[in-house]
Amino acid sequence: MSFTSLAFLLLVGGAVLAYYILPKRCQWMVLLAVSMVFYWVGGGKTILYVFYTAATVYAATLLLGHFNALKNAAPKEEKKAVAAKYKPYRRAVVLAACLANFVLLYVLKYWNFTAGLLQPLADRLSPGAQIPLSELVLPLGVSFFMFQSVGYVIDVYRDKHPPEKNFAKLLLFVSFFPQMVQGPISRFHELEPQLLAQRNLDCTSLKYGIQLILWGYFKKLVIADRAAVLVNSVMGNPWSHSGSVLAFSIFFYCIQLYCDFSGGIDITRGVAQLFGIDLAENFRRPVFSTSLTDFWRRWHITLGAWMRDYLFYPMSLSKPFGRLGRYTRKHIKGKLGKIIPTSLATFIIYFVIGIWHGANWRYVAFGFWNGAIITASLLLAPRFLKWKEALHIDDQSKGWHLFQVIRTNLLVFLGRYITRAPRFLTAVWMVKETLLHPHWGDLTNGTLLTLGLSGSDFLVIALSMAVLLAAEWYQEKKGPIRPALEKQTPFVQWLAILIPLVVLFCFGVLRADYISSDFIYKQF
Amino acid sequence: MTSKQWLALFCATVLCLGACVVGFNWLADPFGVFTHKALEWSSYEMTLNPRTAKITYLKEHHQEYDSYILGCSSTSSFPTEQLNEYLDASFYNMIMYGADMLDVEQDAVYLLENYEVKNLVVNVYLDNACVYDQVTNPLSYSMPPETTGESAAAFYARYLFMDPRHSLDKLKAMGEDTYLTQSFDVFNEVTGAYDKKVRDAEAIGSLEQYYESYPIFADYPEAACFTDEDAITGTLESLTRIRDLCQEKGVNLLVLCAPVYADYWDYFDFDQVADFYTRLAQVTDYWDFSYSSVSFEPRYFYDETHFRNCVGEMALARVFGDDSVYIPQDFGVYVTADNVSSHIQDLRAAQPQAEESCTAQVPVFLYHQIDPQAEGDISITPEHFEAQIAALAEAGYTAVLPEDLQAYVNQGKALPEKPILITFDDGYLSNYEYAWPILEKYGMKATIFVIGSTVGNTEHYKDTDYPITPHFTWEQAREMVDSGVISIQSHTYDMHQWAPYESGQARENILRWERESEDAYRQVLSQDCGLIREAITQGTGEDQVHVLAYPNGQLDPLAQVTLLENGFDILFTTQASCNTLLKGQPQSLLGLGRYNMNQAVSVEQTLEWASDARG
Amino acid sequence: MLEELLEILTEAVPGVDFETETALVDDEILESLDIVTIVSEIKEAFDVEISVDDLVPENFNSVQAMLALIEARKE
Repeated sequence: MSFTSLAFLLLVGGAVLAYYILPKRCQWMVLLAVSMVFYWVGGGKTILYVFYTAATVYAATLLLGHFNALKNAAPKEEKKAVAAKYKPYRRAVVLAACLANFVLLYVLKYWNFTAGLLQPLADRLSPGAQIPLSELVLPLGVSFFMFQSVGYVIDVYRDKHPPEKNFAKLLLFVSFFPQMVQGPISRFHELEPQLLAQRNLDCTSLKYGIQLILWGYFKKLVIADRAAVLVNSVMGNPWSHSGSVLAFSIFFYCIQLYCDFSGGIDITRGVAQLFGIDLAENFRRPVFSTSLTDFWRRWHITLGAWMRDYLFYPMSLSKPFGRLGRYTRKHIKGKLGKIIPTSLATFIIYFVIGIWHGANWRYVAFGFWNGAIITASLLLAPRFLKWKEALHIDDQSKGWHLFQVIRTNLLVFLGRYITRAPRFLTAVWMVKETLLHPHWGDLTNGTLLTLGLSGSDFLVIALSMAVLLAAEWYQEKKGPIRPALEKQTPFVQWLAILIPLVVLFCFGVLRADYISSDFIYKQF
Repeated sequence: MTSKQWLALFCATVLCLGACVVGFNWLADPFGVFTHKALEWSSYEMTLNPRTAKITYLKEHHQEYDSYILGCSSTSSFPTEQLNEYLDASFYNMIMYGADMLDVEQDAVYLLENYEVKNLVVNVYLDNACVYDQVTNPLSYSMPPETTGESAAAFYARYLFMDPRHSLDKLKAMGEDTYLTQSFDVFNEVTGAYDKKVRDAEAIGSLEQYYESYPIFADYPEAACFTDEDAITGTLESLTRIRDLCQEKGVNLLVLCAPVYADYWDYFDFDQVADFYTRLAQVTDYWDFSYSSVSFEPRYFYDETHFRNCVGEMALARVFGDDSVYIPQDFGVYVTADNVSSHIQDLRAAQPQAEESCTAQVPVFLYHQIDPQAEGDISITPEHFEAQIAALAEAGYTAVLPEDLQAYVNQGKALPEKPILITFDDGYLSNYEYAWPILEKYGMKATIFVIGSTVGNTEHYKDTDYPITPHFTWEQAREMVDSGVISIQSHTYDMHQWAPYESGQARENILRWERESEDAYRQVLSQDCGLIREAITQGTGEDQVHVLAYPNGQLDPLAQVTLLENGFDILFTTQASCNTLLKGQPQSLLGLGRYNMNQAVSVEQTLEWASDARG
Repeated sequence: MLEELLEILTEAVPGVDFETETALVDDEILESLDIVTIVSEIKEAFDVEISVDDLVPENFNSVQAMLALIEARKE
């Protein structure tokens, strides 16, 4: 069920009504029921995977909770010994829960890719052997709910909070419907209490929810879906376009990706807000990033945080990394020796983030690209400092800030070549074309108008992006917009309802595939 | 503003905007589903959805009709005018593009139950064996709820909540509407048929030219066509119910099978088609026009699925035994359960007509001035003229008149062995002085196209003092007509003006002035047609004035259509080419080319042009 | 111990006034990379075991918090 379908709006509307009309103790059940309906309609039988994840996580956390309780109940002087006694069990359980989910995720998402890699090897070992391919349908949002659930298991393992004992309540945490399409990846201790809370109707919450949903639809329908037309048209056959057109389409892809993803998250958060639930922020105006690291702190925040807390920290503090650190410290002088383990961990993280997006060489390369740049900037940081001093660059100046922002956006832009090109080698070719045969004239000679978008579409995108950037700039510099808006006269506030609705309707809801009367009947 | 107020305002705004869209869609009603009269434009609405708009139209106008013809888009080419004449009825053409037999049945039931019906004609097309109860674009293909039993709420909701651009487009189209058919108003709401005035006014010549204009016929797209058992069953069941209902109501039912273009027919498996036709005969008797020599002639078709109105005329003439119309021998068979098997055998054997039996090549020569001191592009000495005519006569050519061509095309009357046409433009006195005697001498007939306003201008251009090459008078014209050698026809009454001699803006040709409104122009041209017809009839006693030579040979669709509407159905251009006439295709007379003759054209050249025609 | 810690901090993240800041993590002055660097330095310098569970913002928001963490782990 797509966010942009009428059915989704009706489902949400119905859910909100039921949520506030039914007795408060039923509120969480309404959310669970709607989540199940949503998943069933969107994913059909793959809902079984949701149950599977919920069940494994439920069992593991109950066990972990049991061990934690035993450990915590021990008298102070025995605590260490008891903790040491249960540590292997706890580890085994958490490992089992992780494997139970990640192995399945691997089979679902990555097996066919691996099989493709292994096939040549199999051919050599035993000619004619066919590595079986998985024909399983990828469940809706599988990467999101599995990561969120595994995070919960690890939190229980770390004894951050006790486990949820009610399976249905846990199932709601795993399957809360607004998150099922594209996240965010929430934390149990942040989300679960909100899911289970009993609330009165709060008009402000509803209002904020509606506003956020409208904003999300604006980004998604008005900007992203429009930009996508050009991007798909060019990327459908990149070879027939000049370098500048390729670059332009990647530029549009950056717009599309940001507006589609962050717009979807806005809708998700807006819908959750209708039920009084605040979901974690997933984007914080990434266009203003000053470095690639900064970018990843602003882009898909919850994934980055997950990777940090559950992968980067444990890995960096693990024994092998400790040993590596001691080794490099000893053999490599200065700062370099100290940061090599961190750099390696960073590199691995971005690699994993790349692969998280999908099973494809492009994503591997994408992870490599990000990892390489960030690691390089880490390693080269001291040198940069020296250059900056030599060039008398003022760190605090606006010019320098602007330079950093533009540089970061350029790096992100280059990275998008890799993720959007149909194949990795095509991406390389596209970059080459952009640099060597740009034919800049194609950007002004009308070629762009042959790619599925009309002049007015470009105008809509340009104006919408101007509005979007202005809003984000305001948020970045001055703070939240809504309190400022609420200080305006009622008429202005009404305009802030009317104009978005009209714009959404005219440029979002009314589809491009409209057949005008001239074409309904082809005259003979 | 409190959050509560904000929410109330938000809901109110959403509702208001929704109401605006709904109200606008209701008011503009581009699909013609609502019965209100505001912004009514039936031909537009029928184009967008003939199913709904025609039923809506009939709610208002059903008293004007007592008979209906039903079917898919090819049904349009059975002219209701002719049906009216043969059956003394008043037909409405209910054609719906893409209609299957369920649509037809639903329409038929609606009409029979609600209105007084005398005759019902149902067209069965080959596609009825392939599709039945098909769901397509719901806005353009929905039947009205009265005919289907669909919930009216759901039906009207679809049109109220549709994309308002449909409504906006209607308003825009209102500003762009022209007299000629455009893609957004292809129907004539009064007859219910397609408004094909442009396609019916286009000149049709040789097959090669036709292929060039409509490449689809030259290179017919590959298609795999299969009949479908469910579709056949559904179609036949619908027809059975229509038949029974007609019987019950005492309504005359006529079933026709429309002509199918041969290349399309050939993509079907013959046995499957034969099965369909055989079973059809068990349900009802029918006139089968689907596959015959007509199917092989692209010039009888608008496009690959629509046969032309002229073919519809031949078909109806066959049904009603009208001998005055040319009909190919093998076109149209009355099929019953008894003769269906032998008919199927005949179908298998259908083939194109021999070219010589249905087409003729006719070269036309265009003269202007005969002048002993001939010089320039448009004059010739009497001696040289005589030499040309003598050579033609000697070579066995017979000069005929335009009406002979028409008799050939419309009635299939034979032409002499080597027919040619001799024509003179403008009506110079020298035609009378030199040409007429010479033509009489060699037994050649000719047509002179006079400009009404300059007939009898022996010295001055109209009522000015400007000198003019002398033109013959009405008396002289009458003398020539009376001789039986000359026909006087139109070169317009006053739409071939000589600009330097005119005080106001001159009508140098028959075309619309750039800033002139269509209506004003059509009035001018129609008036001119009336004037020249009256002038020639009174001045010469010529009984039929329906032939025209375009001044300067200039023409456009609007002029063609207007001339045709004013009864000018043989039209000459100045294009130097031979002409191909096709029996049963009156449009082969709408753009006859002519070779320009002058002093520079040798006798050999003349003979070559005359014989070139025979390829 | 404070001086030693400040030295580690300044080397890892130059240009921050560590003595006064109290929201180093919450204000994003320290990011995950810095924290990992700092922790490995601390482990080395003070010979303490710091586990993943300790990597929460509260423990790194100020120099005092870090000192407290080190003290706690030394036991």
